[in-house]
Amino acid sequence: MAVEVRIPTVFRKLTSGESRAAVQPGTIGDLISQLDARYPGFQSQVLAEGGSLHRFVNVYLNDEDVRYLDGLETRAGEGDTVSLLPSVAGGA
Amino acid sequence: MTGEVRLPGDLAEEMVAHCRAGLPNEACGMLASQDGRIVKVFRMTNASGSPVRYSLEPREQLAVYNTLEEKGWELGGVFHSHTHTSAYPSPTDLRLASEDVPYLIVSLATSPADVRAFRIVKESWRAEDGDIVEVPVTIAG
Repeated sequence: MAVEVRIPTVFRKLTSGESRAAVQPGTIGDLISQLDARYPGFQSQVLAEGGSLHRFVNVYLNDEDVRYLDGLETRAGEGDTVSLLPSVAGGA
Repeated sequence: MTGEVRLPGDLAEEMVAHCRAGLPNEACGMLASQDGRIVKVFRMTNASGSPVRYSLEPREQLAVYNTLEEKGWELGGVFHSHTHTSAYPSPTDLRLASEDVPYLIVSLATSPADVRAFRIVKESWRAEDGDIVEVPVTIAG
């Protein structure tokens, strides 16, 4: 069984409209690399220069924010769901 | 949903009521759509807790996305209030826009509230500049 990655609307231009992708278990960083191999340019949208998670992207492993786990080193196993969320913000 | 935002009257009222309840701070939330029509208002927490800024609380946002998956709905829009300014995207709205869906703005500066919707068209979601394109809002039914 693979890891399911849920792709938000904003990244679906890169995934030909796909809202989910099945990848092999690994760290969150590994998963992003797998997605970049499949959808070129994906990694540069999600990671900041320097390779850390972009500050306006939240990543959840099941229901946990990976920033409060091990960040990009957090391991996703078989049957886990990883959700990518763009920060949604603004103001007057 | 590209050409317009079709918003039933009761959901428009729910959205505006949530914005009024959030005063003096900005309020925010998301909208679900199905077959080109808004079917659900998600009233969410403004994690910024500010009269001039909003940010959707991420854990609530995750719950909304999960509900969209479960129900087979689409993300139909994002809404927030402007407490004292017009229903038009501010420079901050433009800079921070990320989702490629209509952004609805509820201005509480007028009575009744003014509701307008815009797409923020950017080369990349990380771009700080883009084009503001108004999307008609049809409130009916």
